[in-house]
Amino acid sequence: MFSRWNWVACGFYLVLNICSPDASGGLVQSCGHIIPESPVLPLGSNFTALCILNESCLDFGNIYANQIIWKIKNRVVPKEQYREINRTVSSVTFNDTSSLDSPLTCNILADGQIEQNIYGITVTVGLAPEKPKNLSCIVHQVSKLTYHMTCTWDPGRHTFLDTKFRLRYSWPEDIFPDCIPKNVNNSCTIHDVHFFVNTEIWVEAANALGKAESDPLVLDPVDIVKPLSPQNVSVTPAILPTVLQLTWENWISHTVIRLKFNIRYRVVGDTHWIEVPSEDTASERTSFSVQGLRPYTEYAFSIRCMKEDGVGYWSDWSEERTGITTEDKPSKGPPIWRIIDASHSPACWTVHLLWKALKRFEANGVILQYEVTVRDKSSLSSPLKKYNVTSTNHTLQLPNGTYEVTVIARNSAGASPPSVLLIPASNSKAPVKNLSTLPKHDKLWVGWTAPNSYVLKYVIEWCLMSSSSDCFLEWQIAPGDAQGIDLKGIKPFKCYLITVYPLYADGQGSGQSVKAYLKQDRPSKGPIVQTKKVGKAEAVLTWNHLTVDEQNGFIRNYTIVYKTIDGNETVVTVDPSKTEYTLSPLTSDTLYTVRMMASTDNGSRSGPDFTFTTQKFGKGEIEAIVVPVCLAFLLIVLLGVLFCFNKRDLIKKHIWPIVPDPSKSNIAQWSPQVPAKHNFNSKDQMYPEGSFTDVSVVEIEADDKKSFSEQDLKPFDLLKKEKSTSEGHSSGIGGSSCMSSPRQSVSDSDEGETTQNTSSTVQYSTVVLNGYRDQTPVQVFSRSESTQPLLYSEERSEDHAGGADSIALRQQYFRQHGGQDETNTDRPCFERAKQITHADEGDLVGFVQLQFSGQSSQPLGLEVEKNTQEAALSNVLQTSIEGQTVRPEIVEENPLSIDEMPKSYLPQTVRQGGYMPQ
Amino acid sequence: MAAADSPSAALRRRDLCSRGIRLAGKMRADVVDLLDAYVERQGLDASASVAAVEGVPLAAVERWDEQTGTQRLLENLAAYRAFRALLAQMLDEQREQLGEADAGLGRALAAVLLQVSAFAYHLEELLRLESRGIPGEEEDGPPPPPRLSIFEQKLRGLGVLRELAQWAVRSARDLRQLAKPSPATGAAPGLAESP
Repeated sequence: MFSRWNWVACGFYLVLNICSPDASGGLVQSCGHIIPESPVLPLGSNFTALCILNESCLDFGNIYANQIIWKIKNRVVPKEQYREINRTVSSVTFNDTSSLDSPLTCNILADGQIEQNIYGITVTVGLAPEKPKNLSCIVHQVSKLTYHMTCTWDPGRHTFLDTKFRLRYSWPEDIFPDCIPKNVNNSCTIHDVHFFVNTEIWVEAANALGKAESDPLVLDPVDIVKPLSPQNVSVTPAILPTVLQLTWENWISHTVIRLKFNIRYRVVGDTHWIEVPSEDTASERTSFSVQGLRPYTEYAFSIRCMKEDGVGYWSDWSEERTGITTEDKPSKGPPIWRIIDASHSPACWTVHLLWKALKRFEANGVILQYEVTVRDKSSLSSPLKKYNVTSTNHTLQLPNGTYEVTVIARNSAGASPPSVLLIPASNSKAPVKNLSTLPKHDKLWVGWTAPNSYVLKYVIEWCLMSSSSDCFLEWQIAPGDAQGIDLKGIKPFKCYLITVYPLYADGQGSGQSVKAYLKQDRPSKGPIVQTKKVGKAEAVLTWNHLTVDEQNGFIRNYTIVYKTIDGNETVVTVDPSKTEYTLSPLTSDTLYTVRMMASTDNGSRSGPDFTFTTQKFGKGEIEAIVVPVCLAFLLIVLLGVLFCFNKRDLIKKHIWPIVPDPSKSNIAQWSPQVPAKHNFNSKDQMYPEGSFTDVSVVEIEADDKKSFSEQDLKPFDLLKKEKSTSEGHSSGIGGSSCMSSPRQSVSDSDEGETTQNTSSTVQYSTVVLNGYRDQTPVQVFSRSESTQPLLYSEERSEDHAGGADSIALRQQYFRQHGGQDETNTDRPCFERAKQITHADEGDLVGFVQLQFSGQSSQPLGLEVEKNTQEAALSNVLQTSIEGQTVRPEIVEENPLSIDEMPKSYLPQTVRQGGYMPQ
Repeated sequence: MAAADSPSAALRRRDLCSRGIRLAGKMRADVVDLLDAYVERQGLDASASVAAVEGVPLAAVERWDEQTGTQRLLENLAAYRAFRALLAQMLDEQREQLGEADAGLGRALAAVLLQVSAFAYHLEELLRLESRGIPGEEEDGPPPPPRLSIFEQKLRGLGVLRELAQWAVRSARDLRQLAKPSPATGAAPGLAESP
C-alpha cells in the first residue's frame, strides 16, 4: 500500500518538475538533459550521448540512471547500447550514425512501468562538403563595356546538410567580394570583371561538418572572353560579278581586345555553308571582300569573332545577311535537241527545236532572249536563217537535209557561247551498246558502252509510259566521255522508255532504247482470266495483259492457281508473254476455281476468281454413243421389217386371220332359222368380210359354286365400276392387246344398263373365273381387239329385245377352256387365242359367249388355225344354240345366275381344236 | 637585368608587358569614356583648362627615349600609385556628393581605379623581374590635400582623369619599349601592337 502511494507521488512529482517553471526562469524544469545538445554528426560515424539526471529528481522521485530508457523517435534503443556511468548519468552509443533519427530522447521508467520523458535532442546527420572540382569560367560580353564572368564547378556529393558555396576571386593585392550562388550550388556569375590582370578564382564550400576549397584557377579574364558577335553586318555588291563586300561593326574596341573573324556564306536556298579561309580573316577588321562567288547569285553571310590570339571563345554567329552578285554573261549555251516529224511529207521535215533554260549558275543573270541560227549544210549557197526567240523551243519547216542549228542565250551582260546541234539527213551512225539501267535511291542511272567512234555527246530521251496519256518526252545531254547518267525526277512504280542517241561530229547514231523502273511494286491488280473453251479434260484460259499503268514493274510471270471444289490446288507458272493457257488434264464434269496472279520482282497480285465446270462428255463422245445406238436401232428395225416381211403370212394369219364369212358358210346355207330372221345379205353389205372386229369371251368355271361367291365376284363389280368410271382400265385392257388402239369405253351410269351395254358394246372382254375345286378362281379379262362396230348389234338387240326369239338371235357357244392360269391379259391376242384353243377340257367348264352384232354372221374369237374346218365350227355353233345357251345378259347382270345355269361339260373326247356341242 | 636572362623570366616579362600594354589601352579607352561622362555629370566644360594636379607626375617628359627601362617603370609606378590614391579620393567625394544617385559614374570610377591598381601591380611585377627593389609607398602617404570646394574637387577630378589618359598612352609606349628585345638577351620582339 505504501509502495503504491509512493509511486503515485513520484509520478506527480515528475509531472510537476517538468511542468513547473524552473529556477532559471524557464517554463520547464527538466529532470535531466542530454549531452551533446542537438549535434550535427557525420554520416557513418559513431556517436555517444549522455543523459544526466538532476540531483533534485533523485531525492523526490527515486529516479536513477539505471531506469533510463533511450528512444529514437518511438523506437526503444536496445539496452546493449546503454551504459550507466553513475547513478545520474546514462550513456547510449551508436556505432553508425546512419541508424540515428530524430528525436533522440532520454526517458525514465518509473516504478509501476510509467514511462516519462526526461529530455530529447535533434540529431542531424550529414556529410562534410567535398572539394569542388572542375572549376571553369567564361566571360560573356554583355554590352560594349560590360562583361560577366560565369564560373561553374562540380559541387561534389550531396551532404544532406545546408552547404554554402561561394565563388571567390582576387588579384594579388586585392580581394574582391565573394560571389554567392543563388538557388544553385554549382555556378555563379561575377559582374565586375577586369581584364589584363591575372585573377585567382576558387570555390569554397562549407557546412556544419566542415569546409572545402577547390583548386584555384588563375587566369586573366580577357583570355576567357566570349565576345558579342559583330553587329550591323551588311553585304554590298562589288564591281566584279563574283565579289561581295561585307562590312560590320565590332563590339569590342581594338584597343582592348583585338579580334579575328570567321566568315561563312551560302547560296540562298542551299544549306551548305562555305567558310572563308580563316587565315584571310585572322586580324582585326571591320570589312571583307568575299571573292569567287557566282554571278547573279544571292548569298547569305554570317560572321563571328574571337580574340585574335585564339585564346578564349568564339562568339555566336551573327545574324545572316544576304546580297546578290551582279550579272555576268551566260557561261554556256543552252543544251539543245530536236524532234523531227516527217509524217506529213518525207521530203519536208517539221523540226521542233528544244533547248533547256540555263540553270541559274549558268545563266548568270536574266536571259532576255535566245538567238537561233539554222544553216543548211547541204547547200553552201543557202542563206543563214536567224530567229530571236524568248521561249525555249522553236519549230521549223525544213526540207530533208543536213542542218546545223546554233542557239545562243543572251542576258544583260552578254551572250553565251553557242550551242550547236547537227541535224543529219539520217541517223546512220553507230549506236551505243549494252544499254542498261540501275536504280540509285531516287535516281535512275542509265549506263551504256560507248561506240568505237568518238562521240561528242549523248542525248538521253525518256518518257513515262502510260496507257492513259501520251508519252511526254524529256531529254538530257551527257558529255561524250560519259558512260552513264543519273536521271532525276523519275517516279517509282512507273515504266520509263529510255533512248540514248550518240552525237558525232559528223552525224548522229541511231537510238537504243530500254524500259526501266526506278522502283517496282507488285501489280495494282491481277489479270482477269476467263475460259476460251472448256472441254472434258481441259480448259483453255485466256486473259489480257495488264496495262502498263497497272503493272508497277516488269511482269516476270503469270501464275495460274486452279483447284477443284474439294481443294486440290494446282499451280502453273506461265510465261508473261502469253495470254492463253490450256489447263490439262482436268476431271470431267467438275467445278474448277481459277485464280491468276501477275508477278513482278516485288510481289504478286491476284485477279478475281473464276469458276468453270468441265464438260461431262468429251468432244465426239455423244456422237460416238448416239450414232451406234441409232444405227443399231435402225438395224433392228430393218431386221424386224425384213422378218415381218418374210413372215408376213404367218403374221397375217395371227393378226389378221382370215375370218370365214358366215354368210358364205355352209351353215348359212343349210340353217333354216337364221336366214329367215336375218338378212345376211344386207349385213354383208354393211359389214363386209374383213370388218370383223372383236370377240369377247367370258369364262366362268362353274363347277364350284363357291367360286361364285360374292367375294369371288367382286372383281366383277370392280370391273363394272372400272368400266363405268375409268377410261384407263378399259383402254388398258384393250391397250394390252397387240395392234390395237386404246379405245374409250362407253359407260352408262346405270349399272344395269352397263351390264347390258358391256355385252353389247365394242369392248368385248373375256371374264374368266378360274377356280378349280379349292382353288381361288382367277379373273381373266380378255379383251377383244376387234374394231367391228358391234354397236350395231346393240341396236339390233334392242330391236329384238322384246322378241320372244331373242335367244335365237344370239348364238352361244360353249367351248372348252384349258387355260386355267390364263390371267395375263397382256398376252398377245393370238397367244390368248391359242390358250383358249388349248384349254383343258376336263378341268375347265366355260362357256363362250359369242356375240354377234346385230345380225352379223361373222364368227368371232375362234382360233383361225383350229377353225379351218368351217363346217365343223358351224356344227358346234349350231349345237350350242340348240343346247343350253346362256344369255350374256344374265351372266353380266347377275353372276349368281351362273350357278343356276346348267353346267356344260366338254366331252372328254374333244381335244384341241375341236368344239363339240353338248 | 640579371633575372631577364632566364627564358621563363623573359617570357614572363613579355607577358607582363603585353598585358600591361593592353591594360593601358583599355584604361585609356575607359578613362576617355569616363571623362565624357564625368564632364557631363559634373556639369563641367570639356574644354575647360585645368591646372596641373598636385601630386601627379606629368606624363610628358623630355628625353623620353633616353630613359632606361627601370627608370620608366619607376616613374610609371609612382604615377599610378598617385592616381590610385587620387581616384580613391574622387570616388569617396563622388559618393559624398551624389550618394547612390549616380551609381554608373561611381562604378566607372571604381573600374578605372581597379585598372590603375592592376597596372601598378603589373609595374611592380616587372620591377621584380628587373631584380629591382620596389619602392615602398610613403607610409604617411601624400600630404592630405587641402580642403577644396566642390567645384574645385570637380576640376581636380577632371585634371586627374585627363592626366591619367595621358599616362595611359605613355605607359603603353614605355612597356612597348620594354618589350623590345634587348641587345643583350636577343629576345624575340614583343607581341603587343600599338593601340
